[in-house]
Amino acid sequence: MYLERYSVRIYELSFAFIVISLWTAERVFNMKLMHTKLPEFLEKMRVASEESSNPKPIKIRGLENLTSAKMQSLRTGRIEHAVREMTMKDGVERIEFQVIPRVPETMHTVIIKGVDKDGKAKSAILEVLNILHPTEEAYLLDCDDIEDRRPGIGRH
Amino acid sequence: MAKLTYKMIPEGMLEGKYVPLNIAFIDYREVKNAGVTPRQAFEAVAKTVDGPVGMNIFDQDVVTTTSDGVMVEGTVRFMAAADKGKINPDFGYLEMAEMPYSDELIKEEPHLIQWKKNYPGKRLFRGPDPATKIIPVHNVCISGRASNNNSATEMMNIVTMEEILLPILGQQQILRNGKVILGMTGGIISVGIGMIMPEKFGRVFPTRQFPAGETAHGSGPYAQTLKAHIPCIVADKAVLAENIIKCLEAGCIPGRTVGASPAVLSVARSMGVEIDMGNITDRAYEELGSVGFTKEWMQEKVDILTPEEIIARADEIIPGVVDGTKYNVPDLIKETTIEL
Repeated sequence: MYLERYSVRIYELSFAFIVISLWTAERVFNMKLMHTKLPEFLEKMRVASEESSNPKPIKIRGLENLTSAKMQSLRTGRIEHAVREMTMKDGVERIEFQVIPRVPETMHTVIIKGVDKDGKAKSAILEVLNILHPTEEAYLLDCDDIEDRRPGIGRH
Repeated sequence: MAKLTYKMIPEGMLEGKYVPLNIAFIDYREVKNAGVTPRQAFEAVAKTVDGPVGMNIFDQDVVTTTSDGVMVEGTVRFMAAADKGKINPDFGYLEMAEMPYSDELIKEEPHLIQWKKNYPGKRLFRGPDPATKIIPVHNVCISGRASNNNSATEMMNIVTMEEILLPILGQQQILRNGKVILGMTGGIISVGIGMIMPEKFGRVFPTRQFPAGETAHGSGPYAQTLKAHIPCIVADKAVLAENIIKCLEAGCIPGRTVGASPAVLSVARSMGVEIDMGNITDRAYEELGSVGFTKEWMQEKVDILTPEEIIARADEIIPGVVDGTKYNVPDLIKETTIEL
Protein backbone atom coordinates (compact mmCIF):
# COMPACT_ATOMS: atom_id res chain seq x y z
CA MET A 1 0.00 0.00 0.00
CA TYR A 2 2.77 2.32 0.98
CA LEU A 3 4.72 1.40 -2.16
CA GLU A 4 1.65 1.94 -4.31
CA ARG A 5 1.09 5.44 -2.87
CA TYR A 6 4.78 6.18 -3.27
CA SER A 7 4.67 5.14 -6.95
CA VAL A 8 1.68 7.37 -7.60
CA ARG A 9 3.54 10.26 -5.98
CA ILE A 10 6.58 9.65 -8.21
CA TYR A 11 4.28 9.51 -11.22
CA GLU A 12 2.67 12.85 -10.31
CA LEU A 13 6.03 14.48 -9.70
CA SER A 14 7.39 13.17 -12.98
CA PHE A 15 4.39 14.50 -14.85
CA ALA A 16 4.74 17.88 -13.20
CA PHE A 17 8.47 17.91 -14.03
CA ILE A 18 7.76 17.15 -17.70
CA VAL A 19 5.14 19.90 -17.91
CA ILE A 20 7.45 22.44 -16.27
CA SER A 21 10.34 21.38 -18.50
CA LEU A 22 8.27 21.75 -21.67
CA TRP A 23 7.00 25.13 -20.54
CA THR A 24 10.50 26.33 -19.70
CA ALA A 25 11.91 24.92 -22.94
CA GLU A 26 9.21 26.66 -24.90
CA ARG A 27 10.01 29.95 -23.22
CA VAL A 28 13.73 29.57 -23.82
CA PHE A 29 13.16 28.29 -27.33
CA ASN A 30 10.81 31.13 -28.18
CA MET A 31 13.14 33.61 -26.56
CA LYS A 32 15.91 32.51 -28.85
CA LEU A 33 13.70 32.50 -31.90
CA MET A 34 11.89 35.74 -31.18
CA HIS A 35 13.40 39.03 -32.16
CA THR A 36 12.58 42.50 -30.97
CA LYS A 37 11.47 45.21 -33.39
CA LEU A 38 13.96 48.07 -33.77
CA PRO A 39 11.61 50.81 -32.42
CA GLU A 40 10.68 48.56 -29.51
CA PHE A 41 14.35 47.91 -28.78
CA LEU A 42 15.10 51.65 -28.71
CA GLU A 43 12.12 52.27 -26.41
CA LYS A 44 13.14 49.46 -24.08
CA MET A 45 16.60 51.00 -23.66
CA ARG A 46 15.12 54.46 -23.06
CA VAL A 47 12.78 53.07 -20.43
CA ALA A 48 15.55 51.04 -18.76
CA SER A 49 17.60 54.21 -18.35
CA GLU A 50 15.16 57.09 -18.02
CA GLU A 51 12.53 55.22 -16.01
CA SER A 52 14.95 53.39 -13.78
CA SER A 53 14.49 53.84 -10.04
CA ASN A 54 17.60 55.99 -10.40
CA PRO A 55 16.74 57.58 -13.78
CA LYS A 56 19.49 58.81 -16.11
CA PRO A 57 19.38 60.34 -19.58
CA ILE A 58 20.55 58.03 -22.35
CA LYS A 59 22.01 58.75 -25.79
CA ILE A 60 21.81 55.84 -28.22
CA ARG A 61 24.22 55.82 -31.18
CA GLY A 62 25.14 53.37 -33.92
CA LEU A 63 21.68 52.35 -35.07
CA GLU A 64 20.76 55.56 -36.92
CA ASN A 65 21.30 53.95 -40.31
CA LEU A 66 18.82 51.15 -39.64
CA THR A 67 15.23 51.61 -40.70
CA SER A 68 13.96 48.06 -40.55
CA ALA A 69 15.63 45.51 -38.30
CA LYS A 70 14.94 42.77 -35.78
CA MET A 71 17.12 42.65 -32.69
CA GLN A 72 18.18 39.45 -30.94
CA SER A 73 15.74 39.09 -28.02
CA LEU A 74 17.95 37.00 -25.79
CA ARG A 75 20.48 39.83 -25.68
CA THR A 76 17.86 42.59 -25.66
CA GLY A 77 16.82 41.56 -22.15
CA ARG A 78 20.40 41.34 -20.96
CA ILE A 79 21.23 44.72 -22.44
CA GLU A 80 18.17 46.30 -20.81
CA HIS A 81 19.39 44.83 -17.56
CA ALA A 82 22.89 46.23 -18.12
CA VAL A 83 21.49 49.70 -18.85
CA ARG A 84 19.41 49.62 -15.66
CA GLU A 85 22.48 48.40 -13.75
CA MET A 86 24.58 51.26 -15.11
CA THR A 87 22.00 53.85 -13.97
CA MET A 88 22.43 52.53 -10.43
CA LYS A 89 26.21 52.94 -10.30
CA ASP A 90 27.64 55.65 -8.06
CA GLY A 91 28.77 58.73 -9.91
CA VAL A 92 27.03 57.93 -13.20
CA GLU A 93 25.16 60.98 -14.49
CA ARG A 94 24.20 59.86 -17.99
CA ILE A 95 24.36 56.79 -20.21
CA GLU A 96 26.15 56.67 -23.56
CA PHE A 97 24.87 53.66 -25.49
CA GLN A 98 26.94 52.81 -28.58
CA VAL A 99 26.41 49.93 -31.00
CA ILE A 100 29.37 48.96 -33.20
CA PRO A 101 30.05 45.90 -35.40
CA ARG A 102 31.42 43.02 -33.30
CA VAL A 103 33.53 41.89 -36.27
CA PRO A 104 35.25 45.09 -37.43
CA GLU A 105 34.91 44.29 -41.12
CA THR A 106 31.34 44.31 -42.38
CA MET A 107 30.35 43.08 -45.84
CA HIS A 108 27.73 45.08 -47.66
CA THR A 109 25.84 44.88 -50.91
CA VAL A 110 25.59 48.15 -52.79
CA ILE A 111 22.47 48.56 -54.92
CA ILE A 112 22.88 51.11 -57.69
CA LYS A 113 19.48 51.69 -59.19
CA GLY A 114 18.56 53.87 -62.15
CA VAL A 115 15.07 55.28 -61.85
CA ASP A 116 12.91 56.76 -64.66
CA LYS A 117 10.81 59.92 -64.56
CA ASP A 118 7.84 57.96 -63.19
CA GLY A 119 9.85 56.62 -60.30
CA LYS A 120 10.12 53.12 -61.77
CA ALA A 121 13.40 51.23 -61.62
CA LYS A 122 14.95 50.95 -65.10
CA SER A 123 18.16 49.14 -64.25
CA ALA A 124 20.28 48.08 -61.29
CA ILE A 125 23.87 47.09 -60.63
CA LEU A 126 24.85 45.18 -57.51
CA GLU A 127 28.33 45.66 -56.06
CA VAL A 128 30.03 44.64 -52.84
CA LEU A 129 31.66 46.92 -50.28
CA ASN A 130 33.67 45.69 -47.30
CA ILE A 131 33.94 48.30 -44.57
CA LEU A 132 36.58 48.42 -41.82
CA HIS A 133 35.55 49.79 -38.42
CA PRO A 134 37.36 50.67 -35.20
CA THR A 135 37.01 48.04 -32.47
CA GLU A 136 35.68 48.71 -28.98
CA GLU A 137 39.04 49.92 -27.65
CA ALA A 138 38.55 53.14 -29.65
CA TYR A 139 35.42 53.92 -27.60
CA LEU A 140 36.95 53.01 -24.25
CA LEU A 141 40.17 55.01 -24.30
CA ASP A 142 39.14 56.87 -21.12
CA CYS A 143 37.72 53.88 -19.24
CA ASP A 144 39.52 51.28 -17.13
CA ASP A 145 36.55 49.63 -15.39
CA ILE A 146 35.30 47.35 -18.18
CA GLU A 147 33.29 44.18 -17.66
CA ASP A 148 33.16 42.15 -20.87
CA ARG A 149 29.97 40.09 -20.82
CA ARG A 150 30.13 39.07 -24.48
CA PRO A 151 30.27 35.37 -25.28
CA GLY A 152 32.85 34.15 -27.81
CA ILE A 153 32.28 35.10 -31.43
CA GLY A 154 29.62 32.89 -32.99
CA ARG A 155 27.82 32.21 -29.71
CA HIS A 156 24.53 33.72 -28.56
CA MET B 1 66.72 40.98 -18.69
CA ALA B 2 66.18 40.50 -22.44
CA LYS B 3 66.08 43.55 -24.70
CA LEU B 4 64.28 44.20 -27.93
CA THR B 5 65.50 46.78 -30.44
CA TYR B 6 63.20 47.88 -33.24
CA LYS B 7 62.52 50.80 -35.55
CA MET B 8 59.70 53.17 -34.73
CA ILE B 9 57.93 55.90 -36.68
CA PRO B 10 55.88 58.03 -34.30
CA GLU B 11 52.39 59.25 -35.25
CA GLY B 12 52.47 62.76 -36.70
CA MET B 13 54.49 64.63 -39.30
CA LEU B 14 57.48 62.86 -40.82
CA GLU B 15 59.51 65.15 -43.06
CA GLY B 16 56.36 66.91 -44.24
CA LYS B 17 54.20 63.78 -44.67
CA TYR B 18 51.50 62.79 -42.19
CA VAL B 19 51.90 59.40 -40.53
CA PRO B 20 48.46 58.54 -39.12
CA LEU B 21 49.54 56.13 -36.40
CA ASN B 22 52.68 54.86 -34.69
CA ILE B 23 54.50 52.19 -36.69
CA ALA B 24 56.94 49.61 -35.32
CA PHE B 25 59.21 47.51 -37.55
CA ILE B 26 60.69 44.59 -35.64
CA ASP B 27 63.34 42.20 -36.97
CA TYR B 28 62.39 38.56 -36.34
CA ARG B 29 66.02 37.85 -35.42
CA GLU B 30 65.66 40.32 -32.53
CA VAL B 31 62.52 38.53 -31.34
CA LYS B 32 64.21 35.14 -31.43
CA ASN B 33 67.33 36.49 -29.71
CA ALA B 34 65.15 37.95 -26.95
CA GLY B 35 63.62 34.51 -26.38
CA VAL B 36 60.02 35.68 -26.67
CA THR B 37 57.16 34.77 -28.99
CA PRO B 38 56.07 37.23 -31.69
CA ARG B 39 52.88 37.93 -29.75
CA GLN B 40 54.86 38.65 -26.58
CA ALA B 41 57.11 41.01 -28.53
CA PHE B 42 54.08 42.86 -29.89
CA GLU B 43 52.55 43.11 -26.41
CA ALA B 44 55.80 44.55 -25.04
CA VAL B 45 56.04 47.15 -27.82
CA ALA B 46 52.32 48.01 -27.55
CA LYS B 47 52.70 48.77 -23.84
CA THR B 48 55.19 51.53 -24.67
CA VAL B 49 52.77 53.38 -26.98
CA ASP B 50 49.99 55.57 -25.60
CA GLY B 51 48.02 55.54 -28.85
CA PRO B 52 47.31 53.53 -32.00
CA VAL B 53 50.20 51.48 -33.34
CA GLY B 54 50.70 49.08 -36.25
CA MET B 55 53.43 46.50 -35.66
CA ASN B 56 55.25 44.19 -38.07
CA ILE B 57 57.77 41.43 -37.42
CA PHE B 58 59.91 41.13 -40.54
CA ASP B 59 61.85 37.95 -41.32
CA GLN B 60 64.89 38.75 -43.48
CA ASP B 61 65.68 35.07 -44.02
CA VAL B 62 62.62 34.17 -46.13
CA VAL B 63 61.22 35.31 -49.48
CA THR B 64 57.95 36.78 -50.70
CA THR B 65 56.45 38.36 -53.81
CA THR B 66 55.49 41.96 -54.46
CA SER B 67 51.89 42.67 -55.53
CA ASP B 68 52.94 42.44 -59.19
CA GLY B 69 54.68 39.11 -58.59
CA VAL B 70 58.36 40.03 -58.30
CA MET B 71 60.10 37.76 -55.82
CA VAL B 72 62.08 39.56 -53.13
CA GLU B 73 63.99 38.72 -49.97
CA GLY B 74 62.33 39.17 -46.59
CA THR B 75 58.75 39.76 -45.56
CA VAL B 76 56.43 40.42 -42.67
CA ARG B 77 55.58 37.09 -41.03
CA PHE B 78 53.69 38.42 -38.01
CA MET B 79 51.51 41.51 -37.83
CA ALA B 80 49.53 43.25 -35.12
CA ALA B 81 47.62 46.39 -34.22
CA ALA B 82 47.24 47.90 -30.77
CA ASP B 83 45.66 50.95 -29.19
CA LYS B 84 46.79 52.41 -25.86
CA GLY B 85 48.67 49.23 -25.12
CA LYS B 86 45.85 46.81 -25.94
CA ILE B 87 45.89 44.24 -28.72
CA ASN B 88 42.33 43.18 -29.51
CA PRO B 89 42.16 39.45 -28.60
CA ASP B 90 40.10 38.50 -31.67
CA PHE B 91 41.31 40.88 -34.35
CA GLY B 92 44.65 42.32 -33.23
CA TYR B 93 47.14 39.68 -34.38
CA LEU B 94 47.81 37.58 -37.50
CA GLU B 95 50.50 35.24 -38.78
CA MET B 96 51.38 34.69 -42.43
CA ALA B 97 51.17 31.19 -43.86
CA GLU B 98 54.13 29.37 -45.36
CA MET B 99 53.70 28.19 -48.96
CA PRO B 100 55.86 25.09 -49.35
CA TYR B 101 57.62 24.56 -52.68
CA SER B 102 55.95 22.11 -55.05
CA ASP B 103 55.82 21.57 -58.79
CA GLU B 104 52.05 21.91 -58.54
CA LEU B 105 52.42 25.39 -57.00
CA ILE B 106 54.80 26.54 -59.75
CA LYS B 107 52.32 25.28 -62.34
CA GLU B 108 49.49 27.25 -60.74
CA GLU B 109 51.61 30.34 -60.13
CA PRO B 110 54.17 30.53 -62.95
CA HIS B 111 55.78 33.73 -61.65
CA LEU B 112 57.32 31.47 -58.98
CA ILE B 113 59.82 30.16 -61.55
CA GLN B 114 61.96 32.90 -59.95
CA TRP B 115 62.03 30.97 -56.69
CA LYS B 116 64.33 28.10 -57.65
CA LYS B 117 66.46 30.29 -59.91
CA ASN B 118 66.95 33.27 -57.61
CA TYR B 119 66.28 32.05 -54.07
CA PRO B 120 66.70 28.28 -53.92
CA GLY B 121 65.89 26.76 -50.54
CA LYS B 122 64.35 29.92 -49.08
CA ARG B 123 60.93 29.63 -47.41
CA LEU B 124 58.05 31.57 -48.99
CA PHE B 125 55.50 33.63 -47.04
CA ARG B 126 52.87 36.05 -48.38
CA GLY B 127 49.47 36.40 -46.67
CA PRO B 128 47.71 34.42 -43.93
CA ASP B 129 45.69 31.26 -44.31
CA PRO B 130 42.09 32.55 -44.25
CA ALA B 131 41.13 29.65 -41.96
CA THR B 132 43.23 31.24 -39.21
CA LYS B 133 41.39 34.57 -39.16
CA ILE B 134 37.91 35.72 -38.12
CA ILE B 135 37.82 38.83 -40.31
CA PRO B 136 35.95 37.71 -43.43
CA VAL B 137 37.77 39.42 -46.31
CA HIS B 138 40.76 41.63 -45.62
CA ASN B 139 44.06 40.37 -44.24
CA VAL B 140 43.83 42.94 -41.51
CA CYS B 141 44.51 43.40 -37.79
CA ILE B 142 42.39 45.96 -35.97
CA SER B 143 42.62 47.15 -32.38
CA GLY B 144 40.72 50.32 -31.53
CA ARG B 145 41.83 53.03 -33.94
CA ALA B 146 44.77 51.10 -35.36
CA SER B 147 44.40 49.05 -38.52
CA ASN B 148 47.23 47.09 -40.13
CA ASN B 149 45.95 45.90 -43.49
CA ASN B 150 46.83 43.90 -46.60
CA SER B 151 49.22 41.63 -44.71
CA ALA B 152 51.01 44.57 -43.11
CA THR B 153 51.59 46.74 -46.19
CA GLU B 154 49.09 49.51 -45.48
CA MET B 155 48.24 51.01 -42.13
CA MET B 156 45.40 53.26 -41.09
CA ASN B 157 43.94 55.20 -38.22
CA ILE B 158 40.30 54.24 -38.71
CA VAL B 159 39.04 57.15 -36.62
CA THR B 160 40.89 59.91 -38.48
CA MET B 161 40.63 57.69 -41.60
CA GLU B 162 44.18 58.65 -42.65
CA GLU B 163 46.38 55.96 -44.16
CA ILE B 164 49.96 55.16 -45.20
CA LEU B 165 51.25 52.61 -47.71
CA LEU B 166 54.22 50.43 -46.79
CA PRO B 167 55.09 48.21 -49.77
CA ILE B 168 57.19 45.20 -48.85
CA LEU B 169 60.42 46.33 -50.55
CA GLY B 170 60.29 49.59 -48.60
CA GLN B 171 60.01 47.60 -45.39
CA GLN B 172 62.94 45.45 -46.50
CA GLN B 173 65.02 48.60 -46.88
CA ILE B 174 63.90 49.87 -43.49
CA LEU B 175 65.05 46.63 -41.83
CA ARG B 176 68.33 46.68 -43.79
CA ASN B 177 69.04 50.35 -43.06
CA GLY B 178 69.01 50.91 -46.82
CA LYS B 179 67.44 53.71 -48.83
CA VAL B 180 63.76 54.60 -49.08
CA ILE B 181 61.60 57.23 -50.75
CA LEU B 182 59.00 59.01 -48.65
CA GLY B 183 56.33 60.63 -50.79
CA MET B 184 52.74 60.51 -51.97
CA THR B 185 51.54 57.37 -53.72
CA GLY B 186 50.17 59.12 -56.80
CA GLY B 187 48.27 57.76 -59.79
CA ILE B 188 50.89 55.46 -61.29
CA ILE B 189 51.39 53.34 -58.16
CA SER B 190 47.62 53.41 -57.60
CA VAL B 191 47.22 51.73 -60.98
CA GLY B 192 50.27 49.48 -60.51
CA ILE B 193 49.07 47.82 -57.32
CA GLY B 194 46.06 46.51 -59.22
CA MET B 195 48.24 44.57 -61.70
CA ILE B 196 48.59 41.51 -59.53
CA MET B 197 49.43 37.85 -60.04
CA PRO B 198 47.12 34.99 -59.01
CA GLU B 199 48.32 33.67 -55.65
CA LYS B 200 46.94 31.33 -53.02
CA PHE B 201 47.21 32.94 -49.58
CA GLY B 202 48.36 36.16 -51.25
CA ARG B 203 49.09 39.30 -49.34
CA VAL B 204 45.80 40.86 -50.41
CA PHE B 205 43.74 38.02 -51.91
CA PRO B 206 43.45 34.58 -50.31
CA THR B 207 42.65 32.83 -53.61
CA ARG B 208 43.90 33.06 -57.19
CA GLN B 209 41.07 35.43 -57.99
CA PHE B 210 42.59 37.46 -60.83
CA PRO B 211 44.64 36.00 -63.71
CA ALA B 212 47.86 37.57 -64.98
CA GLY B 213 47.19 40.47 -67.34
CA GLU B 214 44.00 41.40 -65.50
CA THR B 215 43.47 44.28 -63.08
CA ALA B 216 42.21 43.65 -59.58
CA HIS B 217 40.82 47.18 -59.53
CA GLY B 218 38.57 47.07 -62.58
CA SER B 219 37.92 50.77 -62.04
CA GLY B 220 38.76 52.26 -65.42
CA PRO B 221 39.98 55.84 -65.17
CA TYR B 222 39.17 55.90 -61.45
CA ALA B 223 41.96 53.41 -60.61
CA GLN B 224 44.59 56.18 -60.64
CA THR B 225 42.75 58.00 -57.87
CA LEU B 226 42.38 55.08 -55.46
CA LYS B 227 45.52 55.62 -53.36
CA ALA B 228 46.83 58.79 -54.99
CA HIS B 229 46.69 61.08 -51.95
CA ILE B 230 48.08 58.62 -49.42
CA PRO B 231 51.69 58.90 -48.22
CA CYS B 232 53.99 55.96 -48.81
CA ILE B 233 57.43 54.72 -47.91
CA VAL B 234 58.87 52.71 -50.79
CA ALA B 235 62.28 51.31 -51.64
CA ASP B 236 64.81 53.36 -53.54
CA LYS B 237 64.03 52.83 -57.24
CA ALA B 238 67.49 51.33 -57.80
CA VAL B 239 66.50 48.55 -55.38
CA LEU B 240 63.19 48.05 -57.17
CA ALA B 241 64.99 47.96 -60.54
CA GLU B 242 67.46 45.38 -59.28
CA ASN B 243 64.65 43.10 -58.11
CA ILE B 244 62.60 43.48 -61.31
CA ILE B 245 65.71 42.77 -63.41
CA LYS B 246 66.31 39.52 -61.46
CA CYS B 247 62.68 38.57 -62.03
CA LEU B 248 62.85 39.23 -65.78
CA GLU B 249 66.24 37.50 -66.11
CA ALA B 250 64.64 34.44 -64.50
CA GLY B 251 62.29 34.32 -67.47
CA CYS B 252 59.15 36.11 -66.28
CA ILE B 253 57.16 37.84 -69.02
CA PRO B 254 55.24 41.03 -68.15
CA GLY B 255 51.50 40.54 -68.58
CA ARG B 256 51.80 36.74 -68.57
CA THR B 257 54.08 35.51 -65.81
CA VAL B 258 54.61 38.73 -63.91
CA GLY B 259 52.15 41.60 -63.38
CA ALA B 260 51.98 44.37 -65.99
CA SER B 261 52.60 47.16 -63.51
CA PRO B 262 54.14 50.40 -64.79
CA ALA B 263 57.36 49.63 -62.89
CA VAL B 264 57.72 46.15 -64.41
CA LEU B 265 56.77 47.41 -67.88
CA SER B 266 59.28 50.26 -67.68
CA VAL B 267 62.20 48.03 -66.72
CA ALA B 268 61.16 45.41 -69.30
CA ARG B 269 61.06 48.00 -72.06
CA SER B 270 64.53 49.26 -71.20
CA MET B 271 65.84 45.67 -71.10
CA GLY B 272 64.21 44.81 -74.41
CA VAL B 273 62.15 42.09 -72.73
CA GLU B 274 58.99 41.11 -74.59
CA ILE B 275 55.69 42.22 -73.03
CA ASP B 276 52.79 39.81 -73.58
CA MET B 277 50.48 42.50 -74.88
CA GLY B 278 47.92 39.97 -76.07
CA ASN B 279 47.39 38.70 -72.55
CA ILE B 280 46.70 42.10 -71.00
CA THR B 281 42.95 42.65 -70.77
CA ASP B 282 41.10 45.68 -72.09
CA ARG B 283 40.20 46.64 -68.53
CA ALA B 284 43.88 46.60 -67.55
CA TYR B 285 44.82 48.60 -70.67
CA GLU B 286 42.23 51.20 -69.77
CA GLU B 287 43.79 51.71 -66.34
CA LEU B 288 47.38 51.61 -67.61
CA GLY B 289 46.52 54.01 -70.44
CA SER B 290 44.96 56.47 -68.00
CA VAL B 291 48.43 57.10 -66.52
CA GLY B 292 50.32 57.02 -69.83
CA PHE B 293 51.17 53.34 -70.26
CA THR B 294 49.34 52.82 -73.53
CA LYS B 295 49.87 50.12 -76.16
CA GLU B 296 51.81 52.71 -78.17
CA TRP B 297 54.07 53.39 -75.19
CA MET B 298 54.73 49.66 -74.81
CA GLN B 299 55.68 49.35 -78.51
CA GLU B 300 57.81 52.48 -78.61
CA LYS B 301 61.45 51.80 -79.40
CA VAL B 302 63.81 52.96 -76.66
CA ASP B 303 67.52 52.50 -76.01
CA ILE B 304 68.21 49.04 -74.68
CA LEU B 305 70.25 49.32 -71.52
CA THR B 306 72.33 46.92 -69.48
CA PRO B 307 71.08 45.95 -66.01
CA GLU B 308 73.76 48.14 -64.48
CA GLU B 309 72.65 51.12 -66.58
CA ILE B 310 69.00 50.56 -65.64
CA ILE B 311 69.88 50.42 -61.94
CA ALA B 312 72.01 53.56 -62.25
CA ARG B 313 69.20 55.40 -64.09
CA ALA B 314 66.33 53.84 -62.12
CA ASP B 315 65.00 57.21 -60.94
CA GLU B 316 64.31 58.31 -64.51
CA ILE B 317 63.22 54.88 -65.85
CA ILE B 318 60.81 53.75 -63.12
CA PRO B 319 57.82 56.04 -62.66
CA GLY B 320 55.74 56.52 -59.54
CA VAL B 321 55.70 58.42 -56.20
CA VAL B 322 54.71 62.07 -56.22
CA ASP B 323 56.63 64.67 -54.24
CA GLY B 324 59.07 62.00 -53.08
CA THR B 325 62.37 62.46 -51.27
CA LYS B 326 65.06 59.82 -50.90
CA TYR B 327 66.45 59.08 -47.44
CA ASN B 328 69.01 56.84 -45.86
CA VAL B 329 66.83 54.91 -43.42
CA PRO B 330 68.81 55.85 -40.25
CA ASP B 331 68.24 59.53 -41.13
CA LEU B 332 64.46 58.99 -41.28
CA ILE B 333 63.57 56.27 -38.79
CA LYS B 334 65.00 55.93 -35.31
CA GLU B 335 65.70 52.78 -33.35
CA THR B 336 64.23 52.13 -29.93
CA THR B 337 65.29 49.56 -27.34
CA ILE B 338 63.04 48.25 -24.60
CA GLU B 339 63.59 45.80 -21.78
CA LEU B 340 61.28 42.79 -21.78
